[in-house]
Amino acid sequence: MAGEMMTGNLAAAWGARLAGADYIPAFPITPQTEIVEALAKWCESGAMAARFVTMDSEHSMMTAAGAAAATGARVFTATSSQGLLYAIEVLYSISGWRAPLVLVNVSRALAAPITLEPDHNDVLAARDSGFLQIHAETCQEVVDSVLMAYRIAEDERVMLPVIVNLDGFYLSFTREPVILPTPEQVAQFLPPFRPAHLGFKASAPHALGVAVLGGTPYSYFRHQMHLAAMNALEVHRETAAAFEQLFGRRYDVIEGYRLDDAEDVLVMSNAFASRGKVAVDAARGEGRRVGLLRLRMIRPWPADAIREALRGRRGVAVLDQNLAPGQGGILFQEIAACLYGEAVQPRALCSFIGGLGGKNLSEGEFRTIFDQTAEAAAREQGIGPILLYTEPEHREMTQLQMLATTQGDVKREP
Amino acid sequence: MTWQRETFKKIKQIPREEHVLPGTSLCAGCGGLESLRLAAKVLGDDVVYVNAAGCFTMLAVYPFTPFKGSWLYTTMGSAPAGAQGVRDALDVLIAKGRLPKSENLKVVVLGGDGSTYDMALSSTSGAIYRGLDFYYFCYDNEAYGNTGMQLSAATPYGARTSTSPCSLQHPFATMQEKKDIFEIWRAHKPPYIATVAPRYPLDLEEKFARAAKVTGPKLFLALSACPTGWLYDPGETPEVAKLAVETGLWPLKEAINGVVTHTYVPKLSPVETYLKLQGRFRHLFEPTLQKEAIAHIQGSVNAYWERVNLAERTG
Amino acid sequence: MRAVRFHGRGGQGAKTASRILGTAAFLEGFVAQDSPIYGAERRGAPVAAYTRIAKEPILERGLIIHPDLVVVADASLIHDPAARVLEGIDERTAVFVNSPLTGEQLRTQTSLPGRLTTLDLTEISVREFGKRGALSALLGAVAGRLVGLRQDSLGQAIARELADLSLAASVIERNQAVALNCYDAVRPVSVEAGASQPILPAQLQPPTYEPPTRGTARISAAANSVLRETGGWRTFRPVLVPDKCNGCWLCFVYCPDGVISMTKDDKPLIDYDHCKGCQICVHECPTDALVAEREKEGGVAWRAK
Repeated sequence: MAGEMMTGNLAAAWGARLAGADYIPAFPITPQTEIVEALAKWCESGAMAARFVTMDSEHSMMTAAGAAAATGARVFTATSSQGLLYAIEVLYSISGWRAPLVLVNVSRALAAPITLEPDHNDVLAARDSGFLQIHAETCQEVVDSVLMAYRIAEDERVMLPVIVNLDGFYLSFTREPVILPTPEQVAQFLPPFRPAHLGFKASAPHALGVAVLGGTPYSYFRHQMHLAAMNALEVHRETAAAFEQLFGRRYDVIEGYRLDDAEDVLVMSNAFASRGKVAVDAARGEGRRVGLLRLRMIRPWPADAIREALRGRRGVAVLDQNLAPGQGGILFQEIAACLYGEAVQPRALCSFIGGLGGKNLSEGEFRTIFDQTAEAAAREQGIGPILLYTEPEHREMTQLQMLATTQGDVKREP
Repeated sequence: MTWQRETFKKIKQIPREEHVLPGTSLCAGCGGLESLRLAAKVLGDDVVYVNAAGCFTMLAVYPFTPFKGSWLYTTMGSAPAGAQGVRDALDVLIAKGRLPKSENLKVVVLGGDGSTYDMALSSTSGAIYRGLDFYYFCYDNEAYGNTGMQLSAATPYGARTSTSPCSLQHPFATMQEKKDIFEIWRAHKPPYIATVAPRYPLDLEEKFARAAKVTGPKLFLALSACPTGWLYDPGETPEVAKLAVETGLWPLKEAINGVVTHTYVPKLSPVETYLKLQGRFRHLFEPTLQKEAIAHIQGSVNAYWERVNLAERTG
Repeated sequence: MRAVRFHGRGGQGAKTASRILGTAAFLEGFVAQDSPIYGAERRGAPVAAYTRIAKEPILERGLIIHPDLVVVADASLIHDPAARVLEGIDERTAVFVNSPLTGEQLRTQTSLPGRLTTLDLTEISVREFGKRGALSALLGAVAGRLVGLRQDSLGQAIARELADLSLAASVIERNQAVALNCYDAVRPVSVEAGASQPILPAQLQPPTYEPPTRGTARISAAANSVLRETGGWRTFRPVLVPDKCNGCWLCFVYCPDGVISMTKDDKPLIDYDHCKGCQICVHECPTDALVAEREKEGGVAWRAK
């Protein structure tokens, strides 16, 4: 097998290194820390010609990142979970400045209760920030997506920052073979960063991010961000073609797995999509016509591609690894919204919530999704949101609750 | 040893050229703008101002800017981090030959007291700790001014703000003491800190001229007498600033590598002369004279200057 | 319904005047609604406030585009484009202007349409209160008179609204008395409900993509704030008495907005397009060479010293 063994975190760091990032403001948070540790080492050794600065918080880190991009440097940074939320105000500023940079988010479920393992409520909280979002399934895709992200972000038709998302633990700490592009190949793929509207210098002063008063200019500039984000669909198509030509690997805004003749389709994103593919294979082995649609680009939302992939299907199950309390699955809503205008709808659109806080998704759970979706399609009525939570998990939980209410040795001597 | 001005000895040495032009929507009589305008006469135009949310946000409102230099509006809590990003990016781009050295800029954070004393304290601490080569200009009008004068950690004892009103329980209004941000900064040992006030233009200009020779964090705390929030006639801004200094409430000083020098010895007029001018302290005088509060304020001033005199006597 | 629009400069009390009118109407049993609109600007910048008064629940909200009565706290606002005083005014609109001129004089000078009535509230304020303070009670009382509200309800409303601003009881009483004198002094003009305006569908024109050089909130011009004049903020202007000037530069140094430059022979040159009228230069001039004069119509010899 070609390539070398590396974690998703190291792959992300390699993405920044190969892209020739000039500047890396950083702040540690599990499970992202390995990325900035690798970058710190490379900057220190001279392997990377970038300046690395440890900041005092993610809020400061993102501000420094955006300000450096606004000054004309190519910027990379990374965070996770609470860190992303602490910085979220700044995300809106950076996209408003139209300062393209790449932020890797290593997904980790949000407090409270605090935990370490992944789900996607963190990255989806940044869904409407004006950052584009690419969600990766493999370590290879992480490094490739970082490179693609720079090219898309820095395109004059886009000029928006990008989040590349990978799952904590399941990618961040998981090693698998990764083929690293050579710097020469990358130089062919990624033009130098020379933004016309950014860069502070004595000979051409300008004011950026200034206040506006009144809804007329505000509406105009916000809408420009929307148009820029929508332009990213076309720019992604071109970028994917150029990437494939140079590197032989192809990434589209969505990925279809065994969709051709699939009656029922499972929609997923990120690393657990690999497990979904295994489950599809197993079901196919028993003669069931199921397939998987992986959402790769979440912003801009590739509505046309999704509609086309889901057209004529019998049942569609959306497996959200996130939960919007009081609503349900976030991606389910977006899928439902983009299918609404279709003349022919799936017979059943089903919503499943799974993998919260990194909870495992077993083969049996996938089988249940396929069964329930087929039944729902037969009834022509969607179901959900249904939390994937098994009987043994209930038993484990009950035990934990019992322990949480059991008094310890209270008769200790004073 | 008395402090000597070296560059600015006479009022007519103040440069005629303006660098912050008129037409902004800041209040008539703004003491903060007066200080910034004077500071900019030394800073010049090769500057990028990194702004935190506050009154100065209103300096550059689309499509108008008063600056011949550049401007980046960041957030209330992280302007020093924005300065870090700009400074680092300029350094990297110059080092890599992508930006000629002649294009280099000074990086100047603009923050009000709400940002400086409260929200951006972590970000400022980080920037000083990292030795960032930048200016920090705090226009201190002792409350959250752009939102209509609410209590900040810079609000002095006895001042009325819209969120620290006077009441039966709190007849003196604000009961907290103003944070000593000068000492908080000084604990970080930056190379240069100074306080300034608009009525003392030569002192102000001299300090910016001295700071220009220093690499690293250069921090300025500018008394920003505020007619809108302190409730006095806009024409009295210099008079209010003068009394703040002459009563000893606003010491003019600098700290070079942590060593403090007072740059002006005030007459130490009674604090009443300063308080009486301003509506935010009116409740200390009517309907009843709050002798205890005024004595408390006077006591704090006296204690401060006793410490100063002791320190200067003992070297 | 009666729709009243107040125009003032930040600090003149237009917002409080709209509240006084709203409260007075409410006290008389009407349904009332009042609301201000202002940018982040402060003292001196144009502000507007709105009061609606009706017998039935009010289903409108926000800006009043076609007012029945316009109350102008400062005549210098009439031709300030940022203030939009003239918007929606026609010959049937009642218009009150704080001015020493009569309605007829004002019409000749400003070509202001509508049924004009005036009273010199600034002069009254300077005479009665000894300073150019807020005019809220006076404006509220005048507006109340014009829309036909009673003296007693306006007096009560003034007390309530000024108490909300934490003014001392003695100040409030004084304001009530002076305001009710203005109530009596203003020449009434009739305030009628306007005809309903025809509604045409809006022609939508969604913007297309532009490169971020233009498509983001970015200013590539340097120091273009001078294109925006703030001279209209002034109620009083500093005026040089040349033979008293000793050329000391203090006015130039202390001016926050940098609108005073020094000529070669060390005389201050004041940029009246931008001077906001703070009077710092008047206060600080050591030789009384700068004096404050009331803007426009003159008539009041008010001086800072």
